[in-house]
Amino acid sequence: MKGHVDLLLLSTLQAGPLHGYGVVEKLRGLSDGAFDLAEGTVYPALYRLEAAGLLSSSWTKASGRSRRVYELTKRGRGELARSRDEWKAFSQAVEAVVT
Amino acid sequence: MIESYLEALDLELADVGIPSRLRRRILAECEDHLRSDDGALDRFGAPAEVANAFASELGARTSRRAAAGAFVALGVAGAFYAVSFIGASFAGHPAPDTWPLLAQLALVAGILAPQVSFVAGSLALVRTLRRREPVLPSAELRVINRRTGVALAFGIVTMVALALLALELRNDSAGWWVAITLVGVAISTPLLVLAALPTAVAARLKPRVAGDSGDLFDDLGFVRTDPWRFASLVALGLGLVVFLVASVQGDPFDGALNGTAEAIACLLGFAALGRYLGLRR
Repeated sequence: MKGHVDLLLLSTLQAGPLHGYGVVEKLRGLSDGAFDLAEGTVYPALYRLEAAGLLSSSWTKASGRSRRVYELTKRGRGELARSRDEWKAFSQAVEAVVT
Repeated sequence: MIESYLEALDLELADVGIPSRLRRRILAECEDHLRSDDGALDRFGAPAEVANAFASELGARTSRRAAAGAFVALGVAGAFYAVSFIGASFAGHPAPDTWPLLAQLALVAGILAPQVSFVAGSLALVRTLRRREPVLPSAELRVINRRTGVALAFGIVTMVALALLALELRNDSAGWWVAITLVGVAISTPLLVLAALPTAVAARLKPRVAGDSGDLFDDLGFVRTDPWRFASLVALGLGLVVFLVASVQGDPFDGALNGTAEAIACLLGFAALGRYLGLRR
């Protein structure tokens, strides 16, 4: 999973903005529990993607608590499309070999 | 439970060098996460693990940006240095052996320091361009930060030396050269100091990521050989260049002296800074 964290995180945000907890929940839900990682380690990757200009974030209020919400930037959408194409090509090649 | 976890996380974040403003944001986000459901605390990861992940993920990018910023600042300083250096030939200086001692020392510093700065800064940039991974071993980050720091420090030494030269020789040199040199110093020095700030932030980040620091041969892609043999060849080459340039200008004796001094300085620099800057293991 380590080499694909960026693609996975960007993908979870494709449908719309989410806070860190929401990203983790969506990742777990979509993968049917396969990506059950230490949740706190998702935030550093989100920070790095934000620093790289692929995500933007802002504070909101929810249930009386401050909440940081992340969303894809235009550059992030471009990177997501590029990474997804790369992944598809790679996985098809692996599929062709192992089946 | 959540409060004590956040306190522990705060300490761990400080321990790996996360700046306080960023720590506040991290803690606020983590608190929101931990209060989202009852089991979140168990799934969040140990404070040390989370803190190290932050330092690891942010370290490479921070070091890369610091190196790039330093290179830009050094580029500006280098341009002013070149103008002053070339202009010195037309500034009507008296012979250097008649200069005050401070000016002679500044001349030596003004010749050697920019070479160290250029080599360290270039190698920092080469390493950051060569290693684009989001997370780098701690040892590599240390090398990048040291190279950037040394490049900036010697860049500042160069500017101080230039300022001293201009001030010491102001009565015996063309006014335009003194003015150009001092303006260059006045513009370049604050830029170098500003570039040192992100370098200091990068150097404070202390992720624990296993891996080798690499060396000069990794950076330049040369066939690995004995590093001292390589350094000797470079020193010999530099000395020869200095000798040849002086010979073309009609002063081979002076060229031989300066070339020898250049080669010795190169080897001394390699001995003093080679390991620190990750030129050799």
